[in-house]
Amino acid sequence: MGLSTAMEIGKNGLNIYRVASEVTSENIANVNTPGYSRQRVILESAPPTTANGFPMGTGVRISTVERYYDALLQKQLVNAQTTQGYDTTKSTVLQQIEPTFNEVGNDGLGAAITNFFGAWQDLTLNPAGSAERQAVLSRAQILTDNFHSVSTALNDSISIQNESLVPLTNDINATLNNIAQLNGQIKTTELVSGNANEARDQRDQLVRDLSQQIGITYTENSDGTTDIKYADGGAALVTGATAGSFSLDKITDPTKFAVKMTDTSGVPMTPAPTTGQLGATVALRDTIIPGYLTQVNALASTIATQVNTQHLLGSDQTGSIPPPGGPPTTVAFFTGATAATISLSAGITGTDKIAASGSATLLGDNSNALALAQLQGQKVMSGNTATFGSYFNSLVSKVGLDVQSAKNTETQDIAFTKQLTTLRESNSGVSLDEELTNLVKYQRSYQASAKLITTATEMMDTVIAMIR
Amino acid sequence: MRITANITSDNSLYNIQQGRAKLDKISELISSGKNVNRPSDDPINTRLLLDIGDKVKTTDQYTSNISKASTWQQIANTALTAMSDTLQLAKQQIATISNGSSDATIRQNAVSQLKALKQQMVDMGNTQMGDQYVFGGAMNTTAPFSGTASGTPPTYYSGDETALKVEIANSTTQQMNIPGNQLLTADTAVTQPYGTTNILKAFDDLITAVNANNVPGIQAGSQAIEAGSKQINNAQSDVASRVTRLDSMTKLNENNSNTLNNIYSNTQDVDYAKLAVELTQQQTAFNASLSATAKISQLSLLDYM
Repeated sequence: MGLSTAMEIGKNGLNIYRVASEVTSENIANVNTPGYSRQRVILESAPPTTANGFPMGTGVRISTVERYYDALLQKQLVNAQTTQGYDTTKSTVLQQIEPTFNEVGNDGLGAAITNFFGAWQDLTLNPAGSAERQAVLSRAQILTDNFHSVSTALNDSISIQNESLVPLTNDINATLNNIAQLNGQIKTTELVSGNANEARDQRDQLVRDLSQQIGITYTENSDGTTDIKYADGGAALVTGATAGSFSLDKITDPTKFAVKMTDTSGVPMTPAPTTGQLGATVALRDTIIPGYLTQVNALASTIATQVNTQHLLGSDQTGSIPPPGGPPTTVAFFTGATAATISLSAGITGTDKIAASGSATLLGDNSNALALAQLQGQKVMSGNTATFGSYFNSLVSKVGLDVQSAKNTETQDIAFTKQLTTLRESNSGVSLDEELTNLVKYQRSYQASAKLITTATEMMDTVIAMIR
Repeated sequence: MRITANITSDNSLYNIQQGRAKLDKISELISSGKNVNRPSDDPINTRLLLDIGDKVKTTDQYTSNISKASTWQQIANTALTAMSDTLQLAKQQIATISNGSSDATIRQNAVSQLKALKQQMVDMGNTQMGDQYVFGGAMNTTAPFSGTASGTPPTYYSGDETALKVEIANSTTQQMNIPGNQLLTADTAVTQPYGTTNILKAFDDLITAVNANNVPGIQAGSQAIEAGSKQINNAQSDVASRVTRLDSMTKLNENNSNTLNNIYSNTQDVDYAKLAVELTQQQTAFNASLSATAKISQLSLLDYM
């Protein structure tokens, strides 16, 4: 043990506090980087040597540079993100559909139905009046237009969901590849030296991003890699440095993509996505929106059938008397049995084709117009429990309820995720106050180490002067 | 818990966002004046509002039906009053020659008076509302009465006996018309609610009797006109009772409408006073949160190093 040892310790100190400042500067630089976990230098005293008869330390050394990471929080965040991904997608799309059913102002499809039957009421007061007849045709036109627009809005929404699967699966595949690549890098880096902290941060961030899109389960391996499995079916999505992939095909149904996947060992699979954005998109496309459409179609179909049946019982103004037992000469009022196809039948060429009268010879009779007007109050929907109006009103209310509950769950999810993110930030986030304090601390230690060297040099000079 | 500047700024942002959302909601409520602006605001009340909206529309339709049916009754009533007056004149005319007259001029005078009165009855029978002949039954696009009987069996009436009904409340209908044959040629009508007299034929018989100075015929004619007068009066009271019913239905509908509109507005109209208070509270809170965020986010150790 000599003066050179003191200088050596001083030199070590300089090096180590330089490294410590570097870590601090890395933390400061990444204060706003998403997914970054703060790092710290773990210092320990260097192994002692025995000199002058007693053991003595040989200065300081860096044990490791570690990051603050909470595996449990990561797990909770991954689960919360999956739920939030599902609910946000559902809520956003439903809120886009809601205006189609915004009947609160009483001026959409519901109003069109009421006005259509109102026009028949007016016709009962003047069955032969051409103005009243024209009003029936106009109201019928408005009714069919409303059906078409609701149907178009819903069908558009379905095809938008279908098309959005393309960028979504591309995104998922890119994320899976990146995770696999980072896994490889982490493994290689950590074989050579220390912790690949930044690469791990990036990978953990990607895993959280991925969990918004699909539900996943993951395992952290001892070699630093993370294996990922699909929550819907358990197929392996990432194993070490290998990634599986999602694909879409239109073979079974040309209008709808079928979601397919290949797992990490190359086995093709057909998953049934129910979680994350992917699950929500598929559910919206296959179940939720088609559910609304089915109800609107049932309404259109029943109105068409009921109006046609009653219309055929009446007589129009063309004066043709139906042959006894033969087919009626009155034409059907509507054609088409879905919201998209319902329209005035081609046979209704003019106002004289409206069958307001109950008899071919009595032009001023209103009995059939009255019967048609009274259809409005009859319970013919939902197994004869609802009128056209109340059936549509419950549909509007149902859509409202769906949107409301989707919005509420989304708000809850956001609050929950926020709480978890705050916890993560509290553990892993960079605090500038702390880093600045550390910086001052390391700067002082660096100065002290330098002072040590200066002092040792002066002592050395004293010794050399003695020799002269 | 360890707090970093990022946590503070995230929390501030989150809370400012919440505050903005609340202010936005209050602003929407105040500017629209409605509690429910889209179904998801309140699905249950949406259902209620839609049902009420439908009911109000239906009630409005019934009110419109009733008002048109009332106009019809008024026109019918005017015609019936005129018919009654005409028959009154006929009775006075008959009284002057009830025992016949040997003076052909007097008889001739009476006959031409009676002919004119009969033509008046036919004209009244052909009263129109718009294009519709009100006494024509369902064949109301052409004039139902003519002054001479034609066809086999000969008849003055070419209309039919269909009752035209309108809906005045849910599943409740009211007959709107009086088929002309029940009124003026009741002997051939299938249902005879007012009487059985063929008034037009009575006029023709009377004219023949006066021409022939047939005293028993004149007296029989006089009785027939008397019966016809009662028949018209019966029809008038029927119309009056219809008007009463329509009026009471109008009141019922108005009451219904008022009640429904009250419920609608209780559910849908916002309470401005309450919102104004809420707005002030939210404004204060929001101001405080903005001010706190601005002050706290400036604090940094860097300022002192």
